Amino acid sequence: MYKTRLLLAALVVAAACGGNEPAPPPAPTGPTPEELERRRQDSIARAQAAEEARQRAEQERMEREAARRAESLRRTLQEVVYFDYDESTIRSDTQDRLRAKAEILRDNPAVSLRMEGHADERGTSEYNIALGNERAEAVIQALSAFGIDSNRFTSVSYGEERPVAQGSTESAWARNRRVEFVVTAGGDNLR
Amino acid sequence: MTVRAHATVPRPAPLLLAALWLAPAPLAAQEVEQVIPGVELGLVYETTYVPPIAVLPFRSVGGSGNRAEIVRGIVAQDLRYSDRFTVVDSLPALPGEGVDYGLWDGLGADWAVTGTIESTGTGGTVLEIELHDIVFAGLRERGRFPLPRVDDPDFRLAVHRASDAVVTWVTGEDGIAASRIAFAMRPWGDPAGSSKELYVVDSDGENLRRVTWDESIVVSPTWSPQGDRVAFTSYRSGIPIVYERELATGEDRPLETGQNGQQITPAYHPDGSTITFALLNGRRSDLHSYDVRRRCCLSGRLGEGFHKNLQPTYSHDGSRIAFTSNRLGTPTPQIYVMPEEGGPAVLISPYRYGERSYFTDPDWSPNSSKIAFAGRVDTGRTRVGGIMRYQILVADLDAGANRLVQLTREGNNEDPSWAPNGRHIVFTGERRNGHGVFVVDTGTGRTRTLVAGVRAEDVDWSPALGQR
Repeated sequence: MYKTRLLLAALVVAAACGGNEPAPPPAPTGPTPEELERRRQDSIARAQAAEEARQRAEQERMEREAARRAESLRRTLQEVVYFDYDESTIRSDTQDRLRAKAEILRDNPAVSLRMEGHADERGTSEYNIALGNERAEAVIQALSAFGIDSNRFTSVSYGEERPVAQGSTESAWARNRRVEFVVTAGGDNLR
Repeated sequence: MTVRAHATVPRPAPLLLAALWLAPAPLAAQEVEQVIPGVELGLVYETTYVPPIAVLPFRSVGGSGNRAEIVRGIVAQDLRYSDRFTVVDSLPALPGEGVDYGLWDGLGADWAVTGTIESTGTGGTVLEIELHDIVFAGLRERGRFPLPRVDDPDFRLAVHRASDAVVTWVTGEDGIAASRIAFAMRPWGDPAGSSKELYVVDSDGENLRRVTWDESIVVSPTWSPQGDRVAFTSYRSGIPIVYERELATGEDRPLETGQNGQQITPAYHPDGSTITFALLNGRRSDLHSYDVRRRCCLSGRLGEGFHKNLQPTYSHDGSRIAFTSNRLGTPTPQIYVMPEEGGPAVLISPYRYGERSYFTDPDWSPNSSKIAFAGRVDTGRTRVGGIMRYQILVADLDAGANRLVQLTREGNNEDPSWAPNGRHIVFTGERRNGHGVFVVDTGTGRTRTLVAGVRAEDVDWSPALGQR
């Protein structure tokens, strides 16, 4: 307690001995009513713009989401299915892919597909056209079995003429024995 | 000189001629030899007498000697490629006119050919060919063949007709020099591209040229029996459709069958009125015919089940069709023969239960009951480096059930097609030194390279291209 008093006294002395007097602050002048109104309007506009931007962002986010989903559906729809050597029967590991495609086709009745059948380079090119056709038609049959109208599908076989993998290896052949799916109508905004 | 009959066995060759003969090419060292079980190897041929023929220098009346030498070179090459003669053409010009029968008899030749090129009054040129019988010391035949200008695309073809006349004079059988071979190939300069176009080459490997510019996939060319048209499959519309090309005009016409569906592997009926092809219909493919003269009347021969039936080829009399099918239920194709109108089909490829064999590309000889085709058998032993090789086989339907001869053993060999003489076969092959188109003489087994270094497919030999 004593120490505190002493400190206060020292401060009072120091203040009394100070040099220049500080300039007096300018007289406060309040904003005009017009100015206040302008500021109010500004703040409303800012709030509205912020809300619109938020809504726009939300809209864009939802659109991006829908586009991403449509893109994902499109990828699923176009996912290539593969076949065994000299075979056109649907492999068991392909059934799930076809079921996923069938669901998308059911939800998007405007979609039409072209099935493009392919073969690996082994065997004669002419026979491979017939083989590629058989694969494309096997896929159409499988999708029809899931209840999709086969009139929504067309097919073309390229045989061995359009390989995706070059070279005469088992892995290249396996990638070339395939059916590709091309969306020919109704491919926008998949749901 | 003593009169002799034309020999059927070789007579001793005098030293000079023996040195000039082309020695028969030794069977090339085989990189991989594969023999399909159950077939005969056609590589051992009966020794037949191949008479020596001298092709003497040709004369050019009122023209350049260079032109005469070009024509003589074409004729000599054609006679060599006929595989009917031992050609002697590398002698220096002998002085004097006429043929010195005594000299040529002494040199061992049986025949001699002379030629004269002269201008006709109307501005054209005529090649006169004479065949001299050395054994009987006299002129045997003479023929006159009109020639177009040297820079005309059909100039060589006109000379080839003269060569074929010589073959017919001596053997009584048709020559093949005046004919062409069509095939599909990726265009030059676009080896990695995905387009395929049609090409045509003369029977001597000259005059290779591109005939389609679809920038699409063009495959399976087949000549009409008159040689005036080529049918083929093109993807130019997006799906494979059969078109007919009128060679004189370059005009293409689709079949216009009125039925949707992909059309592949066309073949002409021997009378040229009908094209039979495979129509892809659902999972199946079946043979259908279309009347190209009346532009109508699609008719089908439907198989059963999901089987693939394709690659038809007509017998020379048009009464039967050989084709490729997997109708046995095997995943791989085999060769069958059935009546032209459809009906029971007989298996002719060497299928054995449990073996994974693969036979395609049948082509019926234009004048016999022989069918050439290509295929492989996977017995484990024939598998080399994981890749099974294809070989050319010939089935002779008149020579007893299932008599099969294997014509090739080296590398990969596919797409056989008979020459118009029913004796030579053109095919695509893959050798240690690359891909190419080859011609084999089924009489002697002699094989020559028609086009080297090309990866051709679906080769088809034209009929004899006589004068139009």
